[in-house]
Amino acid sequence: MEEALEQPQLRVFLHPLLHPALLPVSYPRDIRPTWSSIMEYNGGSVIAMVGKDCVAIASDLRLGNQALGISSNFTKIFPMTNRIFLGLPGLATDVTTLKETFRYRVNMYTIKEEREIEPETFAHLVSSTLYERRFGPYFIEPVMAGLQKAADGSLKPYIAATDLIGCLNFAKDFVVAGTASSKLFGVAEGLWEPDLGPEDLFETISQTLLNAVDRDAYSGWGAEVYVLTKDKVIKRTLKGRMD
Amino acid sequence: MAAASVYSGAGFDFTNEVRNTFLTDRGIPLPKATSTGTTIVGCLFKDGIILGADTRATEGPIVADKNCEKIHYITDNIRCCGAGTAADTEFTTALISSNMELHALSTGRKPRVVTAMTMLKQMLFRYQGHIGAALVLGGVDTTGPQLFTIHPHGSTDKLPYVTMGSGSLAAMAIFEAKWRPNMERAEALDLVCAAISAGIFNDLGSGSNVDACVITASHTEMLRNFVKPNERAVKERSYQFRRGTTEYKKEEIRSLVVEEDVTYISAARGAEGEAMDTS
Amino acid sequence: METIDISRLKSGEVNLGTSIMAVQFKNGVVVGADSRTTTGSYIANRVTDKLTHVHDRIYCCRSGSAADTQAIADLVHYHLQLHTQMSGSPPPVHTAATIFQKFCYDNKDALSAGIIVAGWDKEVGPSVYNIPLGGGLFKQPWAIGGSGSTYVYGYCDATYKEGWDRDQTVEFVKNTLALAMSRDGSSGGVIRMCVITEDGVERLFVPGDQLPKFWQGKEVLGSDTKSADLASAVAMAVDA
Repeated sequence: MEEALEQPQLRVFLHPLLHPALLPVSYPRDIRPTWSSIMEYNGGSVIAMVGKDCVAIASDLRLGNQALGISSNFTKIFPMTNRIFLGLPGLATDVTTLKETFRYRVNMYTIKEEREIEPETFAHLVSSTLYERRFGPYFIEPVMAGLQKAADGSLKPYIAATDLIGCLNFAKDFVVAGTASSKLFGVAEGLWEPDLGPEDLFETISQTLLNAVDRDAYSGWGAEVYVLTKDKVIKRTLKGRMD
Repeated sequence: MAAASVYSGAGFDFTNEVRNTFLTDRGIPLPKATSTGTTIVGCLFKDGIILGADTRATEGPIVADKNCEKIHYITDNIRCCGAGTAADTEFTTALISSNMELHALSTGRKPRVVTAMTMLKQMLFRYQGHIGAALVLGGVDTTGPQLFTIHPHGSTDKLPYVTMGSGSLAAMAIFEAKWRPNMERAEALDLVCAAISAGIFNDLGSGSNVDACVITASHTEMLRNFVKPNERAVKERSYQFRRGTTEYKKEEIRSLVVEEDVTYISAARGAEGEAMDTS
Repeated sequence: METIDISRLKSGEVNLGTSIMAVQFKNGVVVGADSRTTTGSYIANRVTDKLTHVHDRIYCCRSGSAADTQAIADLVHYHLQLHTQMSGSPPPVHTAATIFQKFCYDNKDALSAGIIVAGWDKEVGPSVYNIPLGGGLFKQPWAIGGSGSTYVYGYCDATYKEGWDRDQTVEFVKNTLALAMSRDGSSGGVIRMCVITEDGVERLFVPGDQLPKFWQGKEVLGSDTKSADLASAVAMAVDA
């Protein structure tokens, strides 16, 4: 419960002349890592939003090694079924591991149940998979978006997110995760509105992601957006800042 | 060992322990899990028990969920409010709820609150405080109304009015001032609302709405979002973007509509249709 | 001597920073305790019952971690029920105390529990056993425990006499606990007592506003009656 008060984070300009090896000897060599958590090791952010009879999920495309950018096409959103998309921001090694784990578990579910998994069931599958490792977690905060079959056969938008140990958060509007989550929360809170159609939802989620990510050093380097409607999936790769 | 199917084995999996300990030893802290820096309360009244909770979930300084449910179902006549690590309260109450159902089925008796309390305290004690669930357990059974608090290390208290979570001090101040034995339902519900509101407005970890649950011998009434003192004001302006605002480099559209072209092999068959063999 | 080492408690753990006591007399034993349970500086429960039933004529007083002592008491309660069913007669106090001691000693590294076991049995009559932090087992005519006990060892040594009757023993327990509670910040609330004899268990309760009062600084602050000065000069005059 009680924690030591953290020192305010100083702004760091990543200029080559500031490299520790080039600094005077009197300067303290023991520089704390600029990332305070393992979630910031590779960076990355995901957001999902509800629209009118549609949902959207979007992520950045950066893979970093702390401040160093490694790749600008590291996808973090994976299709689980035709109507469920899973975003996995966090430690890249766990992104790959969990992507495979869920692919395996969804396939096993499909074989055993002889039907496709529904988004709500899938959310609980994600939740239990993460809670199983309560005392040695994966460093991932999954975000899900999907269209759920209702009793009358219609498709209802469904989004959810969990923390790294599987606490589910069902929201009626939007869910966010990743290194830019605090920024995404703020922008989304301002821009989201109910009953947006697929095209308007695309604009809103894209602008939310792009503008939040521009204020996050660990996310960015391009973005991709998925919009799910009842009859099609639209994937768009966005043009974003490359710095 | 990773589970062999979607129906995985029981218990926790510690395979990432070594890696994560290595990281923490190098001074990299574990990320924060969602916690419900909460106000939860419970009190006795004339006909039974009233439980109350706020609806805020936090992740450090961020409000992760503005309207989460903290009053969990145990059985029809027993409910449990959870504070602390959100995932722990969620899964612990779900596990005990299912064990209570099995217990009721095997004994053929109506479940008792002490049974749930004992299951919870023994589980939490076994995990020596590592499962961070602080609970308020209440219900009405054959022995009458029962109210308990259960701390993460597995200690329990039985009291006529209880509070827990970061807002417990604010809520307890209300109870200490105004609770009396044998209150009427409406009075007690007002008191619970006042106690939760004290947490919502005076404790940073608590916020949003008041959930309440009234349990009597005859029935249980869940009052989800009983009071909503923090409704968001309607936006006066739409912030929709003009279509085409966002530049995109590539677009891929996958149609989910399955189209089928039916080609009839023989025109005669197609016209008459083939009679089904029903022999 | 046992004190509760607060640093041994895990952070956020519920603590019984306690004053507990048990005294034997001719026909039985009197056990007593304060009622305060704390988490840090917050009083989580001000009317706690630290006198825990483990069998018909055997009670224990709990001090230290609330979770640990409740778990041990539940376990001992279970073992004593089993013992009764198997042997067909109620267990001696010594048996109960030995079971307590076994749990406390075997798990001494994981537990913070200071327990006093007291009761009546047909073999030896009344008896009091003290099981302090490390898991030792000591038979004593009277025992005090918890953080508040350190303040009243001298009072007990100076006051206790053999051959008291029930009422004298109850008075002694009540006064000792009131003194301990007044000096120890982690003790307080009300006094709960149990008189355990062959005939049964009688529960006694002293509300927080009716605790025995002792010298409370009248000389310094000045009192209404001059004649009271002489009386208060007598060491430890008790006006119960």
